[in-house]
Amino acid sequence: MHGIYRKTPSQDEQEASALKAIELRDLQSQFLHLHHNKIYTKEALETSAKLLEVNPEHYTGWNYRKLAVQHFLNHQSETEADSESIQSVLNEELKVVENALKKNFKSYGAWYHRKWVLSKGHSSTDNELRLLVKFQKLDSRNFNAWNYRRFITMLKKISDEEELQYTTDMIYDNFSNYSAWHNRSVLLSHLFEKRGERQSHKESVLEEEFEFVRNALFTDPDDQSGWFYHLWLLDQTVKLEPFLLSSWPPHGSSRSVDYLDGRNLFPSMHSLSKDRMFPLVLYFSEPVEGVNSSTVTIECEYYANEDVIWRPLSANKFGFSQVWFTYLNLPDEVHSLKDCHVKVFVAQFPDIVSSSGFSCSQTSHIVFSLCVPSHDREHAEGQTVPRFSWKDKEFYSHATQSHDASLLRSLHQLKIAEESKSKAASDWSMKIISNEIAHCRELLSSTNCKIGKLTLARLLMAQNKLISYGIPNDGIEVHYEEILGLYHDLMKLDPVHICCYEDESSLVLLKQVTSSMESILRYCYQYGDSTSPRMYPCLCLRLNGLSLSQIGSVERLLWIQMLDLSHNKIRSIEGLEALQLLSCLNLSNNKICSFTALEPLRSLKSLKVLNISYNEIGAHAVNTRRYLCSSPMTHTVENDWNFKEFTNSGVKLTNHWDVFFIFRDLNLIQLDIMGNAVVNDQLKSFLFKLMPSLKWLDGENRN
Amino acid sequence: MENQIPMAMATATEIERGTKTQEDQWRVESQVFQIYNLFRGIPPNSQFAILELQRDKHIEYLTKGFKQLGRSFTVLDANRPWLCYWMLHSIALLRDCVDDKLENDCIDFLNRCQDPKGGYGGGPGQMPHLATTYAAVNSLITLGGHRSLSSINRRTFYDFLLRMKDRSGGFRMHDGGEVDVRACYTAISAASVLNILDDELTQNVGDYIVSCQTYEGGIAGEPGSEAHGGYTFCGLAAMILINEVHRLDLPALIGGVAALIQRLQLIVNDQMGLSNILECECSTDSDYDSINSDISADEQSLEGTSSHVNEMFQIREEAAGQPNTSHLADVNNVGYNFIKGHVHMKPLFNNMALQQYILLCSQEEGGFRDKPGKSRDHYHTCYCLSGLSVSQYSCTKDVGSPPLPQDVLGPYSNLLERVHPLYNVVLDRYYEANEFFKANSL
Repeated sequence: MHGIYRKTPSQDEQEASALKAIELRDLQSQFLHLHHNKIYTKEALETSAKLLEVNPEHYTGWNYRKLAVQHFLNHQSETEADSESIQSVLNEELKVVENALKKNFKSYGAWYHRKWVLSKGHSSTDNELRLLVKFQKLDSRNFNAWNYRRFITMLKKISDEEELQYTTDMIYDNFSNYSAWHNRSVLLSHLFEKRGERQSHKESVLEEEFEFVRNALFTDPDDQSGWFYHLWLLDQTVKLEPFLLSSWPPHGSSRSVDYLDGRNLFPSMHSLSKDRMFPLVLYFSEPVEGVNSSTVTIECEYYANEDVIWRPLSANKFGFSQVWFTYLNLPDEVHSLKDCHVKVFVAQFPDIVSSSGFSCSQTSHIVFSLCVPSHDREHAEGQTVPRFSWKDKEFYSHATQSHDASLLRSLHQLKIAEESKSKAASDWSMKIISNEIAHCRELLSSTNCKIGKLTLARLLMAQNKLISYGIPNDGIEVHYEEILGLYHDLMKLDPVHICCYEDESSLVLLKQVTSSMESILRYCYQYGDSTSPRMYPCLCLRLNGLSLSQIGSVERLLWIQMLDLSHNKIRSIEGLEALQLLSCLNLSNNKICSFTALEPLRSLKSLKVLNISYNEIGAHAVNTRRYLCSSPMTHTVENDWNFKEFTNSGVKLTNHWDVFFIFRDLNLIQLDIMGNAVVNDQLKSFLFKLMPSLKWLDGENRN
Repeated sequence: MENQIPMAMATATEIERGTKTQEDQWRVESQVFQIYNLFRGIPPNSQFAILELQRDKHIEYLTKGFKQLGRSFTVLDANRPWLCYWMLHSIALLRDCVDDKLENDCIDFLNRCQDPKGGYGGGPGQMPHLATTYAAVNSLITLGGHRSLSSINRRTFYDFLLRMKDRSGGFRMHDGGEVDVRACYTAISAASVLNILDDELTQNVGDYIVSCQTYEGGIAGEPGSEAHGGYTFCGLAAMILINEVHRLDLPALIGGVAALIQRLQLIVNDQMGLSNILECECSTDSDYDSINSDISADEQSLEGTSSHVNEMFQIREEAAGQPNTSHLADVNNVGYNFIKGHVHMKPLFNNMALQQYILLCSQEEGGFRDKPGKSRDHYHTCYCLSGLSVSQYSCTKDVGSPPLPQDVLGPYSNLLERVHPLYNVVLDRYYEANEFFKANSL
């Protein structure tokens, strides 16, 4: 037993302990004799009780007593059931357990024995609650006691409301009790579930809870347990029904399609494929499941809805995803000059469900038309492809009056058409959050509390989220600068978690950049002058040099084909997988430290040009990210790892399985990879072999 | 301030600003701080001497434990095979062994703990229990030799395991006892090392362990409870041994444990940032004395994960080259293959910093302790040495080659025996047992 304090005993103590040892040894052998001979007399039971009092961990002792009780009960049923004597036997067991717990209240064997006795159903549960109060006074965070408490409340069918009151009492006693706050959140979740129908009840409960926790926070802002509960409450408050946030192609984009296609803004074809496939992307406000051809119906004269297979992008392990996509495969009959009208109805049935259990009840539809290009516009295989340059001089600052700009402006104004909308719940959320923001500001005016600042930043972001969903805001402005300022303070106050704050800041900054078309246009550039051949898309979003560490606001960027994220601090590119039109991507001079961090690129079938030069791939010996994606071990990858053809390529696949995994399905024409510790000639030749489409690697032509 | 503060809350804060745990934490932090400061202030020569592993003193302390133990050990009366394991394994790690008489006494004692119907109890005559069974099996493997290994009755042991199997797929600690992840690990580990793992034993164990993984990524003792460092080791190691580790959310698990270790590293590297040390300790070894729940266990599990990725890859690569994959079919080989492969990765934790903490803050004049302010005991001696060994070998690529001097903190004579991280027995003893039990089929 570790952690037991020992000191050198005196002579007397040594003798006494020697005597005790003899006694104990005697007791032990007596007990084992009784156990082996199945002797269950009163004296025998006393012997085992004595032993258990000295050593509550003696599991054989507990089992012996269970056998004894069972023996007694069997004997009883043969004669006459006498509930009084049964009760007295069981009470004796409870007494032995209590004595043992006094010696060691973390003894699993003792708690387990108590549960066993109680489940016989002859004992009063009132005593149990009294006992628990006693133990929880001694140690209010003892998880054996909390577990036992949950067992008893279930047995006794104590209402959640009553238990809630108990946690209230515990919190009044000492509000730094994490276990009590935790149990409170568990109980309230049950209550909300039970009364799922009555939103008004939930609202009033949450309002009360905010006030309750505020009392604790204002008393000691540096105590964390209350803040954690506050965050849980905030989460409950902004939990809304999922709905369709944006889509590609956007609703009403019919007029623009000719134009879009003519300027190669709109990808005409699935890369390398002769099939005529158009990506169709749905972006929801929250990760959802249940997107399929019965919940989303497509009306198109050339296309049968039943054939559509919806796939999640970046699904978590439970299959929920914010982004769902499919390819519309247009048959050959569609004439190249004819518009193809498509109508998509989303959520006509309530089977699209978010991970928090809400189902999408707002039906919406998107209507657009596609123009099928003629085949001759495809460039022939084997044609020499010029190298794409990311140099600054290739980019021309974008005149806001240009055609592209007006086009984008029209895209930005398009909203999802919604058939019905119930805003009452979100109005209430807005009210609560505004109220909490006011209180939080008040608190911070008198103290420089770290977690308070973080909470204010999160509250402001939650408010911003509600505003962006179109919930009436009584003219509340979005305070991007204030949020960024808070995170800036936090980075200085708490440098240990700087990465966290950088990530949050990045999301805020991207929200700000994408908040309006005017703002986005400030970051848009034209690639090449108007005379250069249209090999590549012409409009580039340049978000370089902004200290971004991750990607966000992707739902506003679904139209992007060329994206420059160079000279940031990007560690993760999660989210990019939604940009199904992306064909040129610059990630150079960032902090990507492994190939597997590039996993989102695997979904980008139209990606042609990729620059990941001057990152930190291979620079870190200890690289936890390396395992953060499907690997041969995780079996989530389709089981077609065909190594055979590469085993003779001179590259040890054991070292480069991640390269194989990321690049084997990409159809890159150009890749820049220099300036990463991992790069060597072997790797380069492996990449050429892996991607037959690759023409340029670090400026070297395949030939 | 307009908010009315209830009286009870206001007085509560006035009375105490720090809880007992907080005050304990502050005390340990300042002690560790002092030790590191002292260490930094002395000349390099003396630093080197201070980092020396007090091998002889440790062996003396451990050997003494076989003869006489203090009064406080009465609570371990139901855990006597554990005491054998902690002492024997520690001595083996120190590259020593017990004399013939003690060895025979141990074998005889453990044999008396062996139940006629299979498994080992906490002492002679006590009913068989999975945790003490694990300890007894590991003790006998650590002793090695024909007499020791053949004393294990594998036939009845197998029957015992089947009896302990619960409907949920998990195992019970003992007849009528609780079902938890500890029981799963001890059952699977012992069965695997004895080469008697089969479909019937492994059936649905994975389901049970997966249901214990919480949203933070760690593994709880039973479904619905909070995650715990010791249980996380047990769950992960068991999943690897039954070849179902892919069913866990490994990114989340590594994230959780890495966060823990990152915090620890910070403490060890940056003397001013002595935060959370107690928190780490608490979450790793607060309640489970009987199971590898030290920080070192987490380190082991991490190393396990990293080498396992490469291992699995290599096996697949080989499998692609040669169609005969039958050697993969036997789940009993997982433990052997696990250690055999080349490790191409550096460990996910700071192996030097961990060695430094163990040698400076845990080492006593004979024996190891949890942290400054605590007393030494056999449990911590066993797991500090296990963690030290894992750290020393964590940068070696081949299982057969010794670590480079730069990976062993202090004099190179500090080098311990290598352990098998899934079973936590000395690797050479594991090889011997593996050969023995493969040659003698059930």
